Amino acid sequence: MKLRSLIFLVFGVGIISSIAIVYFYILQRDFTKHHREFLLSLNSLKNTHTNLDHQILQSSIYAYHNQDEISATASKVVEDYKRLIKSNILENKTYAQTKADLILFKEYIDIDLRNLDEYFMLNAGIKNSLIFLSRLVENALVLQEKDKDLFIEATKILNHFNDAKRMQDIDYINKNNFLLKSDSKNTKTKKFIANFNLHSKYLINKYPSFIHIAYSVINDGLENYLEKVGEEFSLTALDDFKALDIFASILFSVFISSLFFIVILFIKYLKENKKLKEITSSLEHSLIYDHLTDLHNRKAFEKQLQKLDKPHLLLINIDGFKYINDVYGNDVGNIILKELSLFIKSEVDAINSACIYRLDGDEFGILFNDIKNFEAVAIAHTLENKISNHTFTANDLTLNLAVSIASNSVAPILENTDLTLKFLKKDNTQRVLEYNDNLNLKTDIEENMKILEHIKNAIKEDRIVPFFQPIINLKTSKIEKYEALVRLKLDDNTYLTPFKFLDIAKKSSYYRFITKTMIEKTLMMAKEYPQYRFSINISMIDIQDHKLTKMLFKILTANPEAANRLDIELLESENLRNLVVVQDFIKRLQTFGSEILIDDFGTGYSNFTYFSDLDIDIVKIDGSIVREIGINKRKLHMLKSIHKFSDGMNMKNIAEFVETKEVAILLREIGVEYAQGYYFSQPIERPLESDEVII
Amino acid sequence: MIKTIITFVSIVITAYAGEPISPIPLEVNIDIEKAKLGEELFSDPILSKDNSTACLSCHDLYNGGDDSNIVSIGFAGKNGNIQSPTVLNAKYNFKQFWNGRANNLIEQADGPFNNPVEHNMNALLIEARLNASDKYKNKFFKVYKTSQIKYGQVLAAIVEFENALTTPNSKFDKFLRAETKLTKDEKEGYILFKQYGCITCHNGINIGGNSFQKMGTFMEYDSKNDYPDRSKITNNPSHKNVFKVPTLRNINLTAPYFHDASATTLNDAIETMAKYNLGVELENEEIDKIVSFLKTLDGKSPKILDKK
Repeated sequence: MKLRSLIFLVFGVGIISSIAIVYFYILQRDFTKHHREFLLSLNSLKNTHTNLDHQILQSSIYAYHNQDEISATASKVVEDYKRLIKSNILENKTYAQTKADLILFKEYIDIDLRNLDEYFMLNAGIKNSLIFLSRLVENALVLQEKDKDLFIEATKILNHFNDAKRMQDIDYINKNNFLLKSDSKNTKTKKFIANFNLHSKYLINKYPSFIHIAYSVINDGLENYLEKVGEEFSLTALDDFKALDIFASILFSVFISSLFFIVILFIKYLKENKKLKEITSSLEHSLIYDHLTDLHNRKAFEKQLQKLDKPHLLLINIDGFKYINDVYGNDVGNIILKELSLFIKSEVDAINSACIYRLDGDEFGILFNDIKNFEAVAIAHTLENKISNHTFTANDLTLNLAVSIASNSVAPILENTDLTLKFLKKDNTQRVLEYNDNLNLKTDIEENMKILEHIKNAIKEDRIVPFFQPIINLKTSKIEKYEALVRLKLDDNTYLTPFKFLDIAKKSSYYRFITKTMIEKTLMMAKEYPQYRFSINISMIDIQDHKLTKMLFKILTANPEAANRLDIELLESENLRNLVVVQDFIKRLQTFGSEILIDDFGTGYSNFTYFSDLDIDIVKIDGSIVREIGINKRKLHMLKSIHKFSDGMNMKNIAEFVETKEVAILLREIGVEYAQGYYFSQPIERPLESDEVII
Repeated sequence: MIKTIITFVSIVITAYAGEPISPIPLEVNIDIEKAKLGEELFSDPILSKDNSTACLSCHDLYNGGDDSNIVSIGFAGKNGNIQSPTVLNAKYNFKQFWNGRANNLIEQADGPFNNPVEHNMNALLIEARLNASDKYKNKFFKVYKTSQIKYGQVLAAIVEFENALTTPNSKFDKFLRAETKLTKDEKEGYILFKQYGCITCHNGINIGGNSFQKMGTFMEYDSKNDYPDRSKITNNPSHKNVFKVPTLRNINLTAPYFHDASATTLNDAIETMAKYNLGVELENEEIDKIVSFLKTLDGKSPKILDKK
């Protein structure tokens, strides 16, 4: 389940269970309250009624009695009943039976209270009559003297009435014998008998209903009735309480399960959080640390550099690291890098302000703050020394490393140190170098950039032009060929020689275009001067540029009338990798009628190998030999040997750098076929109209 | 617990009630503002259909709380069917009206308003009349904080006033509190009152008013009348001439006596009661003494009626 939906689920369950809890609370509270109220009302009614019975009994004991209490209690019975019947719980249909029972109970109460009224009516009269009779008999002094029998009879009847009242038993009363009879003429006696019988009759009349009503009032059975209603109610309520219990259990389990969900969520959250933290810290680490060596990386270096007010950088580069990678493989290379980084760390860590970075593949930087130049250089020397004396091991392999260390504190720090290192790399004599403005490294770059700008503009404005230097046939003293040499025309109409710009151009994308322009423009010139042959310079490396050769052949094919007079001077190169390509190139050229020249023979990498494998037409002897043949016997001998060899191989020679008449005459005597040089002519914008030359 | 309390209360009551009559409390706890409003309503004939009859018309508060007519005269001069009982100390009666058809004063007050021969009104009419009166609207607002006058509020105010109508400090109450002594006749009258059994029905705080009794237990009392007696409520023929035992407080001021006003003097009333309900003939001397006792039951005029 997705975290999001889990949250929603928990949230939903939480809301529902909250509502349920509130609902349950209200339900439970109301029910308990109503239940309690009902039972309280019921008990109150019971107690009031018991109290009423108690007061009735009390009143029956006394001859006269304050009835306020009883009437108040009787009213309270009615009030209690009203409160009971209005109990909220009786609204519930479950308690319909209880309600019906209580509605019926009202009739019993009414009857009971009417009986009570009745009881008091009778009780009053009976009490009064008994008291009256007592006093009547007590005061009948006349009878005691004159009619003792009557007196005794009266006393006996009175006792029976009293007993009947005490015992609440009608059997004590004899209706027939309880009236006095006498023949006495005495008016007092007559009056006594009349009064006595009046009350006796009253008592005889009222006693049965009095005893009956007294019994009904006291033994009304209302308590039992209420007791039963109460029991029945409690039994019904028990079901409701059970339902509440079940509801509470369900609620509790819902609550526990949502709690469980929350705990799960929480654990999940903690886990994710932990994962996130790990990722964040690893990301943060990889942002400023190099993953291979665990040193700070270039980004960290740039950051730190901005913080320092007096930065000083040592830049350490492993000499010939590419060679290690090539020979032993990248794995070994990586191990070496790690080992070296550990070694540098162990050496430099003691220096407080030093911080070590891996800035490039095999380049390490040590950044100091506020350190004297000579101190930095001293550290660099020590470090270089220790590294060269240390034996590094990688996979059973032991290696010794040589490093170059450039030191610099002049802003821009990294650029200057880098330039210093490059300079250092070219110089095999020293391993540590401190930057100084005299290295002039920077102006080189500026100059290079300027020249590149010139090249760019020249191409744009068609200012790449060929200059032509005549090549003279020494036997006939006539110009037979012209060598096309590239020139860059500047804004001020001066020209840059290839020495100034060609190396830079070769490293740029403009080189191919320059070559193309030279071929095209030379061909144009060849069409204009059909009496001459023309040659252009192509290096061995150029031949291996497939696109360049394709272009060359395309142009030649398009200009067949001039192509057979366009010769190629092959420029020697450090290493001729693919001889087959050169062979093919030459063969193809020769189909157009082109001749192949070897340039600058006798110096640099030019060697005899070419002749065994390549079909060469002409060998150009290098100026360094030609120039000195008049004064240097060795060089003269070299030249003679080259010529003799060329002759034997059926190749002609052109001598370069012919600057004096003596050299020209000497060359003719030796038998060298062609010559070129300042003695005859500098390179010029257009070939000469006349081919005549005076030697 | 409840039983203990009941026992305790009974003991206290029994101890205090050495005599079966108890004195009226000196202070009544009432809402005076409400009671004053009740007094005004009690006295205002606006509450009768023809603006002729007020409660006060038949319950003269300054002369025993009832009237001296045989039966009360109400709406359009029509006669009522029974002698008006006193309103004084009515709150101590266990039920109201002669036949006890009202359980309390609220129920009682509702009676005369709806009686065609008394006020001849009804709840709606009374509400309409009072709501039309700015004076009453203001007064009711002060008491009930409601702008619309309700019939229930009218009754409650009147009852509050009636609750204030108690007459404490009668000579006999003072005697019960041992603050004064009775004269020889009064004392002997009280003893006769108890000995002959008057006390059996006339007891409690109101010396009556707490039970029903038949007029004529020993001999039939005027069986041909058609008074609204207890039998009209219970439909029991044996309840003919059964009435609520009336209070004897201020009895000296509330002549004529009985539901039918048949006794004009206390002496007549005592003689009749002794004959019909006690089955005795009293000597004149005894009657005089009982009268002396009854006269000690005249209480002080209710405090709320004091002129300020």
